[in-house]
Formats: sequence, C-alpha cells, structure tokens
Amino acid sequence: MIDDPVAPLLARVATQDRAAFRDLYSTTSSKLFGVLLRILPNRAEAEDALQEVFTRVWLRAGRFDPEKGRAMTWLISVARNHAIDRLRTRVEHTAATDGETDALVDNTPSAEANLIAKGQARKIVDCMSALEPDRAKAVQGAYLSGLSYADLSAKFNVPLNTMRTWLRRSLLQLKECLEK
Amino acid sequence: MIDPRDLSSDDEDTALAAEYVLGVLALDERLAVEARLKADTAFAELVTAWETHFSALNDDFASAQAPDLMPLIEARIFGKSVRATRSWWGFFAGIGVAAALVVAVVVNLPPAGNTGPVLTTSLAAETQDLAFNASYSDGTLTLARLSGTDAEAGRDYELWVIIGDAAPVSLGLIKGATSTRPLANLAPGAVLAVSLEQAGGSTTGAPDQVLLTGVIAAL
Repeated sequence: MIDDPVAPLLARVATQDRAAFRDLYSTTSSKLFGVLLRILPNRAEAEDALQEVFTRVWLRAGRFDPEKGRAMTWLISVARNHAIDRLRTRVEHTAATDGETDALVDNTPSAEANLIAKGQARKIVDCMSALEPDRAKAVQGAYLSGLSYADLSAKFNVPLNTMRTWLRRSLLQLKECLEK
Repeated sequence: MIDPRDLSSDDEDTALAAEYVLGVLALDERLAVEARLKADTAFAELVTAWETHFSALNDDFASAQAPDLMPLIEARIFGKSVRATRSWWGFFAGIGVAAALVVAVVVNLPPAGNTGPVLTTSLAAETQDLAFNASYSDGTLTLARLSGTDAEAGRDYELWVIIGDAAPVSLGLIKGATSTRPLANLAPGAVLAVSLEQAGGSTTGAPDQVLLTGVIAAL
C-alpha cells in the first residue's frame, strides 16, 4: 500500500522471516507498548501482553491484507483486542474454548473501498465532535482506555442499561454522519 | 442487556460491530461476536469498517519505549531459550548422562503405536529456572519437567491452554515431574501456559501469576 512502510515487513513475517520479525519489533513495539500501557493497569502486565501480541502477530501475519488497510492499524487492532480480552477475562473469569477472530483481515473489500475507508477514518473525528460532549468522551474513553459498559456507567454515573442505550444511539448517529 | 426496541436488525448489527471494536462488551458477548465473525461475512465487514473509522483515534496512543522482549518472544514461539537450554544441561549433568538419555527418550518420543501427528512445545522463560516440555499425540498431552522443582509450600503450578483470543482454560494442577492428561483437539498455534497459584489452584477461573508459556507446533 502507498506510504505503508510496515506492510512489507509484515508480509515478510508471514513467510516466517525471523529477521523481518525483529525489524518489525524495532519499528512497531513502542507504539504497541504505548497502546498496552494505556489500556492495562501496569507495566508488568503490558510487557507480558506485548510478548503475547507479537506471538500472535507471528502466527497471524498471513491474514493481514494491505489492500484492506494499513499494517499499523492491523497491529493496533491485535494489541487492543488482546488488552481488552485480558481486562474482561480478569473481571469476569469466564472460561471459553473458542474465539480466534479473523475479523481483522478476512472479507477484504476492494482497494478502491480501502481508499474510501481511509477518508472515513479521518471523517470520524469530525463526526465525533458533532456528538454531545459526554457521549463523545464515552466513545473515546472506550476506544483509548478499554472502558467496559460497567466502567462507563460508573464513570458517568448512569445505570448500565441507560449507558448502553445512549452509547448505541451515539454509535448509530456516528454511522449516519460517516455515511453523509 | 441490549435494548433493541427501537433498532432495526441492520442498526442492531451496526451497533454491535461498533461495540465490539470499541471494546465495551463483556467477555461472553465478545466471544459471541468473535464466533459470528468467522461465519458471517457481512457482519465481519461491519467490524472492519468500524476498525478503519476508529483508527483515526490511534494517533492518541502515545508511543512508549518498549524493553527488548524479543528474546522472550522468540523463546515462546521457537522454544528453547538460551537459559532453558543451559539449565536443561545442568539438570542432565546433575543426574548423570545415562539417566539423561533415558529422560530424553521419554520426553521426545511419542508413545509406541502412535499414528497421529505429534505436537510439542517448550515451556521456558529467561527469568525462570522452571522449564517443561509438552508433547501431544493421540489425544494425550504429556508434560515433563526439564528443570526446577515443585512449587513452594502452600502453592501449586497449574497448566492452561489458550486457543486464539479465548480466555485461558485450566488443564488442572501439575503434580510431579511428569504427568499426562487427555485433551481433545489440540492444534498447532494453541498456547500452553504454566501459572503459580495458591495451593489447590486458581479460584477465579483465570491464571494468577503466569510463569511460562509456549506455542504448540508440529514436531
């Protein structure tokens, strides 16, 4: 993809190229560590999570498709999903045996759709500023800090169901704005 | 729970995909979404679209210099960290070469009559004296301790399996130097982990202090 220096590295990692894997770590670990530190409660856990994230990247690099989006976006999704699963696992202690997600790279839209998607990524910032400030803050807090509905309802001091109704309406409002 | 009273089913899916990407869902809901993603292409595209939309917020994640964890990561993926190899040989030196050869045979050879593929991993970490070798064939997982000792008094080691993004599932306490347990459908890519727990094992359903991990791969 144009202007995506990480994508070729990730493509080489997909071919089991260990040198590329080290280069990928040098290039991207600081950003991914930043993501994990923001979401997880302490540095030790973020370090452990970073190991797990790169383990998954090694195993799943073949599923990244540069036609679909930027490599860094894909890597950050892997890191966020792992960090959020860790938080949710700890709170609820729910065991499960299934769940490898293919969502990040399957079902690739065309390159053209991808270019449109890049425009949309910028557009969301404008659309969020059209939301009520509290709701924009809730969306941002969830994305950047990994807050759950339970966390958000405590933070904004509203019942969980109310929180969910409000956030879902805000998300649909965002969607409508994005489609304009 | 979800209040779908005023949502069409399209809106319902759009909102659910956004909730998944934001990360606000509870674990059981996340797992349900992940299961659906594998089968439902249209829904997976909604998730992808939201990932792209929200990626504009990624600039707000400040970078932070990460320590060099590459040796640990490589040990997880490829097995046999330098430290683990050394302590393995130290272990052998301690018990004599003849005994070591017997141990090596026990650890590395699949049971006689085995016909299925053999999967294996080393569970080792730079910071731990404790190390195990795990091998899996014909529905049986065999765990052999290569170095280290039983957990201290009042504590136990517990074995876990992690498949994909799912939460760890306990495979029970690790007792003695070698143990076997039946286990269905272990596939390459699954992660085994050893944790340190209070005596009797985890009471929360999740590992307490993870000491070692290894990714299962074909021998």
